[in-house]
Formats: sequence, structure tokens, C-alpha cells
Amino acid sequence: MILWVMPDAGAKSKAHYRSFVERFLREHPGAEVSVRVLTRNILWKKIFTLKYPAAGETVPDVIQIPHYWTALLTRAGVAENLSRLDPGLSLSSALFPLRAHCCKPGTKDLYSYPWWFDMSALHYRADHLRRVTKNPEEALATWDGLLDVCARLRECFKDAEGYYPMQNSDWRGSLSTRSAFTAVWGRGADLFDADLRTAQISSAEFKQGVRDYIELALREYMPILRERGSLGTMISGKASMLISRKQGGVSFEGKSSVRVKTLPVPRTGERPQAYLSGMNLMINAAGKDKETALEFIKWCARPDNQLPYAAAMDVFPAFEESFEKLVFSSSSRLQTYSGILASARTLPNITITGTVVEILNRVLAVTATQIVEGRFTPAGLDIELDKAAREADYLLSLYEG
Amino acid sequence: MFDKEAFTLFKFSKKLNQSFQNRRELLDCALPALRDLFKLDRVYFFAWQQERALLSLNMMCKKEYCMDMQEDISVLNEPEFLKQLLRDGLADSTDLNYPAVYVLLRWQKPAMTLEGEEVRQTLKESVGVLRLERLRKNRVFTPAEKKLIKSVAAEISHNLTNTEIDQDKNQRLSVATALNDLAAIFASSLRLSDGLELILQGVQKYFRFDRVRLYQTNYDGTKIKSILGVDISGEVTSQPGDDLPEDERTLLRDIFDSGAPYRTIHNVVYIPLKVQRNKVGFLTFDNLLSRRRIDWLDLISLKQFANQIALAIDNASLFERVQELSNYDELTKLPVRRFFNEKFAEEIYRSKRFDLIMSLIVLDIDWFKQINDNYGHQMGDWALREISRVIRTSLRQTDFPCRFGGDEMVIMLPRTNDEESKIIAKRLKDRINAIAVPSRYTDGQRVTLSISQGIASFPQDGANAAELFEKADQALYWVKEHCRGNFANYREVSSGGKTENTDAPAEPGREEAPGK
Repeated sequence: MILWVMPDAGAKSKAHYRSFVERFLREHPGAEVSVRVLTRNILWKKIFTLKYPAAGETVPDVIQIPHYWTALLTRAGVAENLSRLDPGLSLSSALFPLRAHCCKPGTKDLYSYPWWFDMSALHYRADHLRRVTKNPEEALATWDGLLDVCARLRECFKDAEGYYPMQNSDWRGSLSTRSAFTAVWGRGADLFDADLRTAQISSAEFKQGVRDYIELALREYMPILRERGSLGTMISGKASMLISRKQGGVSFEGKSSVRVKTLPVPRTGERPQAYLSGMNLMINAAGKDKETALEFIKWCARPDNQLPYAAAMDVFPAFEESFEKLVFSSSSRLQTYSGILASARTLPNITITGTVVEILNRVLAVTATQIVEGRFTPAGLDIELDKAAREADYLLSLYEG
Repeated sequence: MFDKEAFTLFKFSKKLNQSFQNRRELLDCALPALRDLFKLDRVYFFAWQQERALLSLNMMCKKEYCMDMQEDISVLNEPEFLKQLLRDGLADSTDLNYPAVYVLLRWQKPAMTLEGEEVRQTLKESVGVLRLERLRKNRVFTPAEKKLIKSVAAEISHNLTNTEIDQDKNQRLSVATALNDLAAIFASSLRLSDGLELILQGVQKYFRFDRVRLYQTNYDGTKIKSILGVDISGEVTSQPGDDLPEDERTLLRDIFDSGAPYRTIHNVVYIPLKVQRNKVGFLTFDNLLSRRRIDWLDLISLKQFANQIALAIDNASLFERVQELSNYDELTKLPVRRFFNEKFAEEIYRSKRFDLIMSLIVLDIDWFKQINDNYGHQMGDWALREISRVIRTSLRQTDFPCRFGGDEMVIMLPRTNDEESKIIAKRLKDRINAIAVPSRYTDGQRVTLSISQGIASFPQDGANAAELFEKADQALYWVKEHCRGNFANYREVSSGGKTENTDAPAEPGREEAPGK
């Protein structure tokens, strides 16, 4: 069986996957599993070529995908119908927000299966924040409050070389669409209208949400496009806060000298919003070892495999029992997440969601370059978002559902 | 004297002395070799995006393994570093707090451009950077090591050029194979429509586009007739050209008029299909959903293949036109006898095979010879044209009329019984009686046209085509004899029954005596 996964644990990913697969092989001694780690970018390009592999090209059997690619890959005929392979496969024990993202839209047939998920939250160093506010929870409740705290931290640590109030959690070290969503949702906007027929990207609220997010880079509270190795982390003391979807168990727990606390992402509107991103596993319709692939997917969903994997990758188990076990048997910091889960939202599982995220990634990549070059203008960003909206509307007219 | 540097380089180049399928495969070999040679903790390969002044991380190699990674670094953050790297080909990291050097790679990559109809091939420079890291602060890179690193980088650059050229050759080979396969599909398809569907599916499969579409124009190229498409699901769809939005119609007209060999608009590539000056249609493809870049080689190859498609479509539409001309009577625009006989035989077969009913009407124009004699052949031709028009517009889509010869016409009515065929005959009778003959043909006299019709039904009146026709003709003969201008069913007349309407015109083709 060939497994394609993403580098969710950065440079350590390959080692993590190795040990995870070894556990599977201990229970399935006859199986052969090889793992390939691909960046999301490369995986996105490759999934479109899976249907018609070239002669001699290696095809994967199991692929890790973001939940909102399910509709697209089902439509493209890349994802295998899991309900057909195993009619008994069920989502009854999966966390509720993840369930709709495993099916072909409009049907109950499963085309991907939950593996894990992550959820955005604000982490901060209690010792750093104590120096600028008496009540971090109150100060960090709103986006304006966050910017104000950043300004005060910047002033407080002005002599610390290489210090930024915020650590950049984007794996490319750039601006990230997914990180912008909480701000956009807070402003009352979304990718699409409720009926999923029109893009909302050009709305004033959407633009304001994106501007809220990039303010962190514009005011140099968060580094962008820097050598990752040159930057300090919150743990090393070169940053005080981090908005991340990783729960931080590996990074924050057990560091007795550093006390990290977790809060919902500061709200840009009336109420806090959290971005929930599910990672699913799908079986390649053109794969050669579907039997082992199905066995692997079911094995990954087992609580005794969900928990250690989620803990090692700093993410959350996708099934209720394991999720509750992780959260309620852990620190109070992790227990905060049960409250955040209530306000969590996901991107819709329709054919064009992945493409629209790619389009917005491109807009933000250009914006990041413009910020570094000192030629960013809000009007320029608005024009790019208007163009993106037109493109999204055109795609919606071509690919409904 | 033993040259240690040359020997090291020789050993390094031996490791790379093999054929690599692509850049990734080469780096998979070169980065660990580099790591081992300089005892590095990590080596990174960055592609240089010159237009955005970005170093984009592609691959990382640490002690245990290599893997794909992504990270963007703006070199504008460090202008001094950038200057040094471009000037010396090597620069120390200014930010990292452990020893790290960047070394420049420059290699050549085959590129193609299309100038008019001519394909030009060139080599284009690509730039990349390696970052070599040692995580222990005291393990700095010595000047001798830096010199060797530059030499090794030159060796990797050389291999990158060779690999890019090999990859380009392999890509060309696979494109040539794909086009050859597509041409074979075309050659083996009996019907053009089947061939086109297979071609579109083939283009999508080999070139892995999200969508491929074929717009076909009508015979004079003035209008989009139909759109055949294959979308990301691989399903073939067909839609009439009328459904095309006006802005797209304008766009297509504009592309044709510009004479450009292709045009890319919003990631959709449009290739006009032309044969000499004939506008045949468009081949279009896109990667709107995947947003993958369309390769130049694919575009240019498909441009050339499009000429074959255009020729095939043009030939097919010429054939269709010739067939149309030979199957239809020029004066009446009705199918001719030969074409009718083919369809009639098919329908009789189908009716027998599936136990279906059908009817046949044989008709002729009353007093047609007198009309010609009295008012001239122009009037005769006009009458034929007008009566045919009424017949064409009064029948159902499944009915099949024909000009059998002279003023005699036949209408095949599939799945129609006696009673239903009489309703049609009555409709024809009434509408033809209502035709107003222009006074220019009749010197002001009021003249009416009428037809006589004989009806026979399958299987009651005849079990085969000849028998059915004979019975309908006998019924027509009876009407001519007894009640011209009316219709009769064979069984009624053969059993001595009456027709629906015996109110026959007494004189040839006119209400009052013809004036001539």
C-alpha cells in the first residue's frame, strides 16, 4: 500500500509517519506500506493527475486530504466510494462538524473518512502578557485589543533582537488564507452565500476581515517571508503569542519554565470564531491495494490509534470518544478547546472550495510580497479580491455543488 | 601532485553520473551526497522566483531522509545578502545563528515559443539556491570548503541542465505518443461524432486538462452550431450553440477575426480550427479548477494536432452537405425517393421487429397537368413548392415525407393507426385548400389548390413496403376516380365504404373556369 500524506509535523513528519506505520504493520504483518510526504501544494497538483496515471507512474492507495476536497475528488472520479467497499462503514462516532465533509454532496455515500482535525486558537505566554496587561483574557477578546497588546509588547521588548509579538504559524512563513478566515467570519462574511451560488469575496465585510488579518504583518507584529530558522519561537522567548490550529501539546506542555495559555482567536465582530479544519483519508479509485487501504483507514479511526497520533502531531482526534479523552484528561489549557469547538466553523465541502482557497492563497502571497517591498495598498488588495470573486463566481456557474 | 579538490569533485560527479527522470530525482541523489561530503546537518533546495524576489523552498534533506517542503523567503529582506549571492555565487546567512551558507545554482532549461505558426526552441536560464546548514555554532565553513561548495554547485548545475534536457525529450516523446494514439483513434472511428467524443476524452486523458471542449461552427462559419465537451468527471456533454452566452460568442468572433493561432483568456486556451479560410470551430481546454499551469509543449503540440481535427471536421461537414444535397429535392426541399425508400425499409423492419404500427399516405396534386398547361410551369413550380412547405410544416417530427416523382408525394407515418393518419390527411387537405395563389400567376382569377390522398396501414393493409405502397396507391386511385381533393383509407374503399368528404371540386384546380 502506498500512502501519501502531508508534512503536518514539519521536518519531523517523515519520522512520525514511519513510527505510526510501524504500529500498523505490527498488527498487519503481511502488509507492505510505503509513505510519501508531499506538501499541500504538490499534493493539490498531483491529485488531478491520479485518474490517468502515465505508464510506470506510482499511484497511491490512500491519500490524506483536507475535508473540503472531498466533493471535488468525488466529482473528478479520483475518490473511491468507501460505502461501496464497506457498507458497514459509519460516521456515527465521528465528531458532528466533520460528518458532512466525508460524503458526496447530496448523498450519504462516504468518499473520505475522518482522521484528525485542528482548530484555531490564540496561545500566549502568561509571563510576557503579564508585563503589558492585568487581564489578558479581556485584552485579547477583540482584534483591536490584540493589535493594542501587540503594540505594547513591541514596546516592552524593543531591545530584544529578532523579537516579534506574534509568531507566524503559516508553514510557508507567509500570509495564509486559512488564518484569515476567523477574521473574515467575525466580520459577518464568508466564502460563499448561504445557498452556495455566489461568492462573497468582493463584499466589504470579507475585504475588511482580510485587512484585519494582514494588519499583523503590515505593522510588523508578525514576521513574513523570513528564513524560518532565523526566527525565534514563543517558547524561545522571541515571540509572545501565536494564532495556530495546532493544539500545542508537544510544544507547550512539559516546558515548566514557560506557561502558555490558550484563548479563542480574538473576535473581529460580535462573537469569536474558530476555524476547524478536518483532515480525512480517501482511497484512490485507481489504487491497486484497496483492501489494505480500507483496513488502514479503519485502523486509523480506532481510539487507541487516534489518541497517540493526535498527541504526537499536536492535533485533535476526529472521533468523539478520543477527543473527549484527550481534552478532559489533559491540562486546563486543552480543556479550553471544548468551548472553542462550539464556535468552530468549517469551509463548505463543494467542488470549488479547494480552488477558491488556492486563488485566495495566491492573492495573499502577492500581498505578502507587496508588504515586504513596501508597496502594499488596501485599494490594490480590493482589486485582487474583486478579481478573485469574479473567478469564483465563474467557477460556481460551471461546477454546482 | 595529488589534487584533493579535483579528486573530491570527481567522486561527487561520479555519484551524479546517471540518468534522472526529473529535477526531484536528481536532487534526491545530490542533496544527500552534498550532506555527506560536507558533514552537514541539513541541506535545502530553493527555486528562485525572480519576478517576486522570492526563494521558494522545494526540498529538504536532513540526516535520515529527504522530503518535499515549502517555505517562502523574500530576499528583499536582506539586500546586502542578495548582492553578495549574485556577485560571488555564495553568501553566508545573515540571520541564522548557526553556520549556514547559500550557494547559487544556474542551469539551462529547454523552452518553446510560438511565433505566428512557427515553433522556436530556446534554452532559458533557471536559478536556484542551496542552503547548507551545520547546527553547531563552532563548525563554520572554511574558505577552502566554500571554494569546494561552489565547484560542487557548478557540477549540480551542469547535471540540472542535462536532466532538464532529458526530461524535455521524454516529455516530447510522451506527447508524440499521445498525439499518435489520438490520430489512431480518429482514423479508426467510423462516425465523426464518435471520433470527436473519443478525441476529446483522449486529449483530457493524455494532457490531463480539467475540461476540453470543441465548438463546431455551421457550414459557412458564421454561427456556433454545437459544443461538445468533456468535464473533470470525464463525462461527454453536448449542447447546442444557441446556449452560448453573447459575450462568449463575441469573444470567439474576435479570436477568429484576429487571426491569432491561439488565445488564452482567464486560463482557458482557445485554438481556432481553420481549413484555409474556412472557420471550422474551436478547440478549447482549461485547468480552471486545478489551476495547474498549461505547459507550452502541450499547447504547441495541440495547436498542431488541431489542424488535423479541423481537416477531419471540414471533410465531414462537406460530406454531410453533399449528402444533404443528394438526399433532398432542390425545388420542394423534401427528401427524394431513394432516401425515402431507405428510411421506409428501415421503418418497416423496425415495425415488424418490435410489433409496431405505421401508415403511409400517397398523394398527388389535383389537376396538376392542367395547372401547368393553363398557367405555365412557373405556377406549377410555385404550387409544388407551396404544397411541400405546407406538408413539411404540418407533420410531426417523426413523420417522413418525400417527393416521389412529378407531383406525387408520399408520407410515412410511424406508430400511426388509421384514425390518426386520417386526422393528418384532413389537416393537409384543409391547409392546402387554404393556400392563396398569387394573382400574378392567374391573371386575377381565384384559383384553389387541392390534393388527393390514399392511405394504407401496416400491418393490416400490407406486410411489406411494396404491398403497403401499392394499397395506398390504389386508395389514391379510388379517390381520384370518385372524390378528387379528398382522402380515403384502402380498407374502406376496397370494402365499398365511403370517404370522409365527397365534396370534390368539379373542375381542375379552380373555383371558376380557368381563364386561359
